[in-house]
Amino acid sequence: MARVILVFNKQVIKDYPFTKENMTIGRAEENDIVIDNLAVSGYHARIDRAGDTYILTDLQSTNGTFVNDKKIVSYRLRHKDKVTIGKHLLFFALSKSEQAKASEGELDETMVLDTARQKELLAKQAEKKGIDVTGAKQKLGIISFIDGSDQDEIQLTKKLTKVGKAETAEIRLGGLFMATTAATISRRPNGYAITATGGTKVTVNNQVIRESQILNDFDTIGIGSYKFQFYTQGSGDGK
Amino acid sequence: MELKAAGITDVGLKRESNEDYFSIDNALGLYIVADGMGGHLAGEVASKVAVEVINKNVKRWIAQHTSDDELFDYPDSALTKTGNYLLSGIKLANRVIYELSKVYTEYKGMGTTIVALSIMPSVAIAANVGDSRLYLVRGNTIEPLSKEHNMVTEQLEMGLISEEEAKVSPLKHILTRNLGSSDTVDVDVFEIEPRNNDRFLLCTDGLTDLVSDREILEIVKNGKDPEHLCRQLIVKANGAGGSDNVTVSLIFVHNLEQEKQGIIKRFWSRSKQ
Repeated sequence: MARVILVFNKQVIKDYPFTKENMTIGRAEENDIVIDNLAVSGYHARIDRAGDTYILTDLQSTNGTFVNDKKIVSYRLRHKDKVTIGKHLLFFALSKSEQAKASEGELDETMVLDTARQKELLAKQAEKKGIDVTGAKQKLGIISFIDGSDQDEIQLTKKLTKVGKAETAEIRLGGLFMATTAATISRRPNGYAITATGGTKVTVNNQVIRESQILNDFDTIGIGSYKFQFYTQGSGDGK
Repeated sequence: MELKAAGITDVGLKRESNEDYFSIDNALGLYIVADGMGGHLAGEVASKVAVEVINKNVKRWIAQHTSDDELFDYPDSALTKTGNYLLSGIKLANRVIYELSKVYTEYKGMGTTIVALSIMPSVAIAANVGDSRLYLVRGNTIEPLSKEHNMVTEQLEMGLISEEEAKVSPLKHILTRNLGSSDTVDVDVFEIEPRNNDRFLLCTDGLTDLVSDREILEIVKNGKDPEHLCRQLIVKANGAGGSDNVTVSLIFVHNLEQEKQGIIKRFWSRSKQ
């Protein structure tokens, strides 16, 4: 079993055996390791166990968390690591059997951290940093017609939205020069991308596109004689 | 549309067993790669079970035109019908592995990543959980069609760490999602319209840990034989250390009929009448 030894002024304050899946460190009383000192944040850092691995994460504390005198955000703890929080030291120690395992497991095995705990942890980190967690997720894209149609705006809820004359197209456009499918808009890992599929002129900010292009907020899209503006939900005044 | 595909899995240079698994089905246009984890033989079992559960069920659903409400778990209205087959197949595989790992002590803690691709002329569907990847190589560009579910990527996306910190982070191999560790799982699914001559690459982190996107592009965009290119990718990964099992699967799209010009097509069909 791993242990965390709390030291202050060269004196061992307490020895904490790692009996749970995680341990939190901070000034607040709810923590597993409570350090009553003003240099320590209420919820300062935590250690999570993933299999035989222990991960130390700073919870965006005011004064930071240091391992072997280097500031860390997240860190994979090793035997005899020295963690500094304020003026307190925490020594991390593995049992004999864990040390043996750790040295043979240097291949960097893949492992999984409990998902629910993981989400909670990241949300907390983000909250401390004042980051809107929902902002990290992909925002819903919207295109609004600028002219050429009496339709107003369309939310791009599908992963793949087809634009053109076809009856199956999510966005149906008419006109002599309109292809059955003139363009597609797809949600991709990097954001929304528009692809010209041939037959009709497709432009983004007045540049003709032949292949795919990632869309940015307030890009102007032209498909045949239609004009649209693209934006993502929450990006401000769309129109 | 014609699909030409090849896949190779290699144990690498440092490991004793291969926990990766893959499948190729050109008739169905379904391609899967999985990277198993868990001690003893459990990792090998997890990746194989996942691939087989998905293959078997997606194949059956497609053949029977199964409706959304008969699928496992809730369908996603943002997806096409086949997109939901793939999503449901992966969620089902997750449940099967999760239950197996609970019932049999020798399978305790087993899990696997998954990356799957389904190609039809109208849509290409990419789905993944974990850190195995899917790339689209189109002409001279390479683009990911998968998301990485590990701690570093999530911290990066949330703005908690910088790109530089991410590159050197020791937490790359800490996954935040996989198949088997929880009774439900979130799957990332993307749908795009395929183009003629598109090339898709499915691979495990044994490749991407050691070979950069640019190097992958340089290999994949040239040459005509997917099997030969897969071999080159494996050689490249092993040449860079071969620290993990490596699996690559390449799919080439040929003879995909592109839509003719709107107006030309109409005059063309009129003149034929």
